Amino acid sequence: MENKKSYGIAGKILRVDLGKGKTVIEPTEKYSAKLIGGRAINSFILLNEIPHHAKWCDPENMIVIGVGCLVGTLAPGACRVSIDTISPYSNGKGSANFGGHFGPELKYAGFDHVIITGISKNPVYLWIQDGEVEIKNADSLWGMTTYQTETMIREELGDRKIQVASIGPAGENLVRGSIVFTNPGKAAGGSGVGCVMGIKKIKAIAVRGHGSIEVADSARFMNAVNKGFEKIEASPYAEDWRKGIIEQKFLPESPVWDAYASPRNGQDEYWPMNKRKKLVGIESGVPSYKKRMMACFGCPIGCMPFYEIHEGKYRGTKGLGYWINSALYSTKLDIDDPEVSISYHLLCNQLGLDGDMASVSLAWAYECFEKGLLTRDDCDGLELRWGDGETALKMLRKLANRDGLGDFLADGVKKSAQKLGKGSDYFATYMKGQDSVDPYRAFKGWGFGVAISPVGGRHLRGAVSAPEVTGPRDIKWSAFEYDNVPDVVFWQTQAKEIEDVTGICIYNGTWSGAHALEVSDYAELISSAMGIELTAKELMTVARRGINLEKAFNTLHAGFDRGDDYPPIKYMEEPIKSGPFAGQKCEREIWDKMLDRFYELNGWDSVTGLQTVECLKSLSLEFVAKKLKEQGKLKH
Amino acid sequence: MTALQIDTKLCCGCRICELACSFHHCRLFSPEKSSIEVSNDYVNGEIEVIVTSTCDTCKGEAELLCVLYCPTGGLKGVDKHHGE
Repeated sequence: MENKKSYGIAGKILRVDLGKGKTVIEPTEKYSAKLIGGRAINSFILLNEIPHHAKWCDPENMIVIGVGCLVGTLAPGACRVSIDTISPYSNGKGSANFGGHFGPELKYAGFDHVIITGISKNPVYLWIQDGEVEIKNADSLWGMTTYQTETMIREELGDRKIQVASIGPAGENLVRGSIVFTNPGKAAGGSGVGCVMGIKKIKAIAVRGHGSIEVADSARFMNAVNKGFEKIEASPYAEDWRKGIIEQKFLPESPVWDAYASPRNGQDEYWPMNKRKKLVGIESGVPSYKKRMMACFGCPIGCMPFYEIHEGKYRGTKGLGYWINSALYSTKLDIDDPEVSISYHLLCNQLGLDGDMASVSLAWAYECFEKGLLTRDDCDGLELRWGDGETALKMLRKLANRDGLGDFLADGVKKSAQKLGKGSDYFATYMKGQDSVDPYRAFKGWGFGVAISPVGGRHLRGAVSAPEVTGPRDIKWSAFEYDNVPDVVFWQTQAKEIEDVTGICIYNGTWSGAHALEVSDYAELISSAMGIELTAKELMTVARRGINLEKAFNTLHAGFDRGDDYPPIKYMEEPIKSGPFAGQKCEREIWDKMLDRFYELNGWDSVTGLQTVECLKSLSLEFVAKKLKEQGKLKH
Repeated sequence: MTALQIDTKLCCGCRICELACSFHHCRLFSPEKSSIEVSNDYVNGEIEVIVTSTCDTCKGEAELLCVLYCPTGGLKGVDKHHGE
């Protein structure tokens, strides 16, 4: 292997075949020239190497773990890791992302990416330390929670600085909505990556590195770093984020609640004040349980709170990570008890369940129960009533363990509805085959960004809330109007792709509330760290490469096209019932036009949504065009 | 003479100080080369910060880099003889 010096990155990629027990190391440079790092490289490897016929559960499926190219340096908020694979929901692109301290440790151990193929016969975990890797027996870890797994591995290997990414019982039991979890509180969720770890029988990846990251031009790099820190400090939102987003932005009076909640399985998009006050009111609600804030590696924002309940029924419940999504789960099930809400969130993390996905499945079951499509007998004797948090906690355990109704729900809400029939598909909120927790109707850029996401129904690929908080500066738009939404979302898809190439958290960047770090800042940080010259415009081209690699993967592996970019049918048929946006729904005619414009901006075919030869040539992705042409999926 | 004062209640565990410190020592980014060690206990919500004997209070730098980059005020430079 060529031993060329790398700047900014670790320089090596580790391949592990669990079936053969073989490991191979190759240089990152092979991929980084065109794709820089992080998710873009992950996407290339998946598209280039996985045969079309392979399913998520086949040995040919890969789990590719990619650390952002700036992670491990002093670039603000550079900590994030992309995990990409075939989605167990759809056989399309599965992609998730976490922060914490795992990514930098992997780079200090010498690797930018880890590629896992094959299926192990017995439970194993990977032990990666300073350029070496060992496949270790995990019999004693199988069945353990994520929290227990991390502690046990550190004890077994005798180093408390080891960073661990693991799955819980949910992933082991092949529950589709399973996460990969690290630093108890940080979850890679959103497309079942934990389920793929489960089928491969890999319980965890443990890393420890004593190495360093060197940047190409340290003086220039530190100038870019200083500028970044100054911009973040100057942001009017940084201090709010540091105190905790729930108590700063999600207090009961916040207008966000008028549009962002999705109560009772999306029967509404508004949650009344009395319930908000109970859940997040500063005196009686979630904020009063906060112990402290804890940050991811290298992040000057540090947005994650640690909660602890000291008395009452849930006494002793504690942990990191109660978050906006957690409040969303609560509204989905109409739960206004803050102690249940915190317990729900932490239980999901321990069991390795994706809280978003679990709440979609549960909310569907609750609505089916309400409508008489599921009976008490179908529900193992439980009555699924809105707001009944105790039952929800029981259901989480059943889901993670595939017990009774939990087993019925464990393959995702689309398949649950297919099994039940009786018109229950109408109540199933999924996109591209995968459960979708998000609201679609009031926040226009949010709904559209979620719908066009290559990872079905997720908000981290293009969703924007309001212009004062997110989105580009040079396009006029507003949160509750459709004007220019496709243009704004098109920009956001690229900006977020760059953030996942660099590993810089969106809360330091395009969701920072004040455009703290911008694409031009990313270009300067990358250029000075890696010793390559990139303009902001060129970086956007890299982003479009990454986006087109994912798009092609979805076309070839899952057959997705234009029809898969429309919101769940429920949100197109059923208007919001109450609040300031009552009466609004996703109008098909407007979505037709928005998709036309979005495909035009991307250079894709507006009739089918498929990619064109011209677009792919302009991005130097001729090999992608060839693959699509062979399958009859390329347009002119 | 300057010394470091640590307030673990303000510390958020971001470890930016470790990176700033290693950059001071060797113009590299590496927690292993830092004179500060931050340990996050995510199970109990505790953070521990240790300054080792290799700390030279940023000899040759214009300022204490760990203090300069600390986002929360958890690290402060104090005069050893005259207090803060």
